[in-house]
Amino acid sequence: MAMAAALRREGRRLAQPINALQSHSSLISQDQAPHGARSISTQIVRNRMKSVKNIQKITKAMKMVAASKLRAVQTRAENSRGLWQPFTALLGDNPSADVKKNVVVTISSDKGLCGGINSTSVKISRILHKLNSGPDKETKYVLLGEKAKVQLVRDSKKDIELTLTELQKNPLNYTQVSVLADDILKNVEYDALRIVFNKFHSVVSFLPTVSTILSPEVIEKEAEAGGKLGELDSYEIEGGETKSEILQNLADFQFSCVMYNAVLENACSEQGARMSAMDSSSRNAGDMLDRLTLTYNRTRQASITTELIEIISGASALTG
Amino acid sequence: MASSGAVPFWRAAGMTYITYSNICANLVRNCLKEPHKAEALSREKVHFSLSKWVDGKPEKPSMLLFSSSYPFTDSIIIPTFNSFSDY
Repeated sequence: MAMAAALRREGRRLAQPINALQSHSSLISQDQAPHGARSISTQIVRNRMKSVKNIQKITKAMKMVAASKLRAVQTRAENSRGLWQPFTALLGDNPSADVKKNVVVTISSDKGLCGGINSTSVKISRILHKLNSGPDKETKYVLLGEKAKVQLVRDSKKDIELTLTELQKNPLNYTQVSVLADDILKNVEYDALRIVFNKFHSVVSFLPTVSTILSPEVIEKEAEAGGKLGELDSYEIEGGETKSEILQNLADFQFSCVMYNAVLENACSEQGARMSAMDSSSRNAGDMLDRLTLTYNRTRQASITTELIEIISGASALTG
Repeated sequence: MASSGAVPFWRAAGMTYITYSNICANLVRNCLKEPHKAEALSREKVHFSLSKWVDGKPEKPSMLLFSSSYPFTDSIIIPTFNSFSDY
């Protein structure tokens, strides 16, 4: 952006001598040329054009890489949606449960150049924090990915409980996500876990979503309020286990499944956002290249015209 | 098959359901024949870097790197699975 502003300034400065020539005066800008030279140098513009062209090539390549990675993850993300759907059918979705200890799990990427998805996730996490702050209540953060850590460290340092990075070193699999879900469950006390991630709807649309998972005690409490949870008692329990044990197992497994889906969807959204960011970057580079080409041609023609004028006026002065 | 008393044995040992199911999955994956076994074990690689924060300061990150076998399989009593006789 600074480069574009500098280019615009250059364009204006270079345009002045052309306008001056057109109005038949002999002002020549000496800004870019070394002292004593009579023609305007095109070297600077040429250098800029070369670097902009290189940037355009790089961003085009990054877009292709992101597109191929997206294809690979997309089918897995869509298939993993079936993991949490039975849980929502059984337990319902309770985003408005009022609990004392909230833990916000923010999922973000480790690498940058992916548009605004990490900022939207962090924004939603901050909103959740604000919504759930009150006299007894407290909200803690668990951060996955570097980008969320960097943003939240600025103002919410004391609320961060855990940070996890380097998740995408091996291809994402359920075992890895379940191990980190297990670590989160072991290290953090919670009444409700709110997972914030970007759900992948299509290549151009990623919506930030919050999935809520309640701890077994809170489920018992909410069951009294009726709704889906109140119907849990109508299910028959096999084996020798009690209802609270089953709820405990279900809560663990639900967290692990929802995390797996969330991590995959976020990875998809990251690749999609990177694709569109690199695409708009290539397009901007192309526009900049067009403008620079025009400036270059104008400068070149102006210097040729100047040379011609000098030669002709010199010749006519000699012949008299 | 797992519970006979008030609490299943693995919960009494401090494991969560997630750890229990991961161990079982690892046992199943180890029962496969090559080449499927190598593919399945490659789906089990775990790598991430976890760091706990205390008072707004991160502690030194602990690198958790399990290669293909889950660490607990050697030291815990393995339940017998009667139905997996086809592998």
